[in-house]
Amino acid sequence: MRSLWLFPGQGGQHAGMLDQVNQQLKEQVEKWTNVKLVDTADAYQDSVQIQLSILLLQIDQVDRLQKLDWNPTLVAGHSLGVFAAAYAAKVISKEDVFKLVALRAKLMQECYPEGYGMGVVVGLSRSEVKKLVAQVHSETNPVYISNQNSEMQNTVSGKISAIEEMLELAKENGASKAKLLHVPNPSHSPLMQKAADQLNAFISTLDLHKPSCIYLANYNGHAVKNLEDITYDLGNNLIYPVLWETMMQVALEYQPTSSCEFSPGTAFTKLLKAKTDQLNIVTLSTMLVDDADYLFNKWEKNND
Amino acid sequence: MTEEKNWHTHRDAKNARLASASSLLNGKFAKTKDVVEVLNALIKPGDKVVLEGDNQKQASFLSEALTKVDPERVHDLHMIMSSISRPEHLDIFDLGIASKMDFSFAGPQSTRVSQMIADGTMTVGDIHTYLELFGRLFIDLIPNVVLVAADKVDHEGNLYTGFNTEETPTIVEAAAFHDGIVIVQANEVVDKLPRVDIPSDWVDIVIPADKPYQLEPLFTRDPQAITELQILMGMMAIKGIYAKHHVQTLNHGVGFNTSAIELLLPTYGEQLGLKGKICRNWELNPTPTLIPAIESGWVQSVHSFGGEVGMEKYIAARPDIFFVGKDGTMRSNRALGQVAGQYALDMFVGSTLQIDQWGNSSTVTNGRLSGFGGAPNMGSNPTGRRHSTPAWQSLKPDDDPLAKGQKLVVQMVETFGSNKKPVFVDHLDAEKVRKEAKLANVPIMIYSEDTTHIVTEEGIAYLYKTDSMEEKKAAIEAIAGVTPVGLRSNPKEVKRLREKGIVALPEDLGVRREDAKRSLLAAQTMDDLVEWSHGLYNPPAKFRSWS
Repeated sequence: MRSLWLFPGQGGQHAGMLDQVNQQLKEQVEKWTNVKLVDTADAYQDSVQIQLSILLLQIDQVDRLQKLDWNPTLVAGHSLGVFAAAYAAKVISKEDVFKLVALRAKLMQECYPEGYGMGVVVGLSRSEVKKLVAQVHSETNPVYISNQNSEMQNTVSGKISAIEEMLELAKENGASKAKLLHVPNPSHSPLMQKAADQLNAFISTLDLHKPSCIYLANYNGHAVKNLEDITYDLGNNLIYPVLWETMMQVALEYQPTSSCEFSPGTAFTKLLKAKTDQLNIVTLSTMLVDDADYLFNKWEKNND
Repeated sequence: MTEEKNWHTHRDAKNARLASASSLLNGKFAKTKDVVEVLNALIKPGDKVVLEGDNQKQASFLSEALTKVDPERVHDLHMIMSSISRPEHLDIFDLGIASKMDFSFAGPQSTRVSQMIADGTMTVGDIHTYLELFGRLFIDLIPNVVLVAADKVDHEGNLYTGFNTEETPTIVEAAAFHDGIVIVQANEVVDKLPRVDIPSDWVDIVIPADKPYQLEPLFTRDPQAITELQILMGMMAIKGIYAKHHVQTLNHGVGFNTSAIELLLPTYGEQLGLKGKICRNWELNPTPTLIPAIESGWVQSVHSFGGEVGMEKYIAARPDIFFVGKDGTMRSNRALGQVAGQYALDMFVGSTLQIDQWGNSSTVTNGRLSGFGGAPNMGSNPTGRRHSTPAWQSLKPDDDPLAKGQKLVVQMVETFGSNKKPVFVDHLDAEKVRKEAKLANVPIMIYSEDTTHIVTEEGIAYLYKTDSMEEKKAAIEAIAGVTPVGLRSNPKEVKRLREKGIVALPEDLGVRREDAKRSLLAAQTMDDLVEWSHGLYNPPAKFRSWS
């Protein structure tokens, strides 16, 4: 069975999502990072809480699946998701991955206290959005095209005033949806360079390992198999758009037979379903790891 | 006197290579487990290698083995492939085993192909049409090694390729008669073959495969997915093109539009009294949606480029229609099918992702260098032809005694694609792709000058009747709906074009939109097709419904 594992980033967090995770692991994470994980709606106003909690949820699920001897052929993480993806590919140790994400979340929180964020535009192609961004962008009022979630769904990142101007323009030019996102920083744009530099400095102290499977890189949408490209993606994906649409096209060209989306949410499975009907699909936010195990076993038998 | 020149260096080199692998060989046969060592021994750096990736059949055992050769010994291969279909076809570039590619179609791997060209992992010779690729195997892309797939082999090394013969004989011939090495993976070794498709004389090495070659049911279209818009367009095409031009010999592309037409012949076509007058002889893969037309006596013959999974028994039971050997199984041949498509057919009908304001079309879009399948050969007008058929003659201008007729090349598209993007655009993405990938030619699939008709849900544009490029553009605008190109159309001009017969709307053809119902299809489900075939058609698993 060729399996594609998908790791979402921020957005799907919700109170109580850590109910089922391994408590020992949770305590361990709190010790490593010096952050108490609260798992309430209030706490999820805070980027450090969000990022560490989602990572914990995903790492716990990876551990459970790998204990049952399931391993991916391809891993794809969206933004924050790259860290659990790298862990699933056996690139980074558990302790390092939590320390790394704790640092990333703090850096992101510190670099733009207010006035910056992200917006989403649905119904225009990437090249159309690019043209509109160019009309608004200036050094003092910066806005960049950022994530490519699907062919007709792209995000922009920058100063709120510039984003709002750009979103208005998008609506005038036929976007079916154009709105601000609840993201407090201009992620995946050159405005994050300082955070990326500090993150890279920390990554250079870590002991990373060759990947055990194919890793889809955010920054260029390529399937990569060497440690250098993955290290680069972990440290720098903040300053590049996440080329998710391209990552998925490439992933499908490797002809996986099943996909497994880790928690929280099922958004990326929905995008994938719009591209192919040839995959057996698991979403861990809607089923137990045991159910996933049952399905994987069944599909593997059918394939043989 | 000077020393005599050696005129058989290729043969010497081939013999030396085969000798170096002799410890792995028992006659022509090598063991399954030795496949990687055989390839290590027989392939040299810089070799031109044909790896059989056809439209449907893939030499998957050999392509997987090729990823495991030692890149120190085997590198910088120049691959020649009609279809880049499997991940390992590109993995050999990542691994440094291959560096150059000549190909026709890369649809299933088009994103990675684009990326590899952009980052220099792959250099491209040319993106060929099938016939250009096959032709050049005998001219300046003569292969050193060919890696092909057969269904069965006997102990002498004779091959049976059966339904899925496709281009295997063409590839093997190019190597066998110019001292290339022919390496075959076989699904099965048998005492007696059903028939010989390729003689053992042309074969150097046979390796039994660990599992059967990969085969895709590419031409199966579930009638359930045909929409009423496609039915409307089918009705317009049958009346406004097939009947008007008395089209008797033809090829259909693989889309749902043409499936709809196949399923309308026994119903709508019958009502119009067209049976026996149109659509008699086909160059077409054995698509299941043609079964009702065959069963109701519309079709006299079908020659095929390749096979189609599930159609084996049905074809065996209809040897009057299909090309079937004495053993009862079909033989396909892509090279001859493409030749027939260019020189023997009245008409080609296909579909595309983009058509520009001048009528050029392409399926290459940003970030995806897909190349093309059969369409560029089938969808071109060989200018040396001289046919007496009513269809060819009907496109001849009246005012010139020396004028030639023309092959009908029809594009059928809905004005907006499934992704809600306009099909009609000012400029093809292909223009940008040419720059990015540094190609010599813009990857146009079918050129404007060859396109005689475009059918959309709005109407038909008879492009061959236009007198100037301005008029051609106006005709395209008239049927381009609310795309940016279509919005330029003005009612006065459309009226003039309709009066001149250059544009026909459904009402001009006497086709009523409200008649375009799914109940008009001769088969509405896969089960219906099975029933039409008297239980002889056996749909592949993914097309079976369990509900």
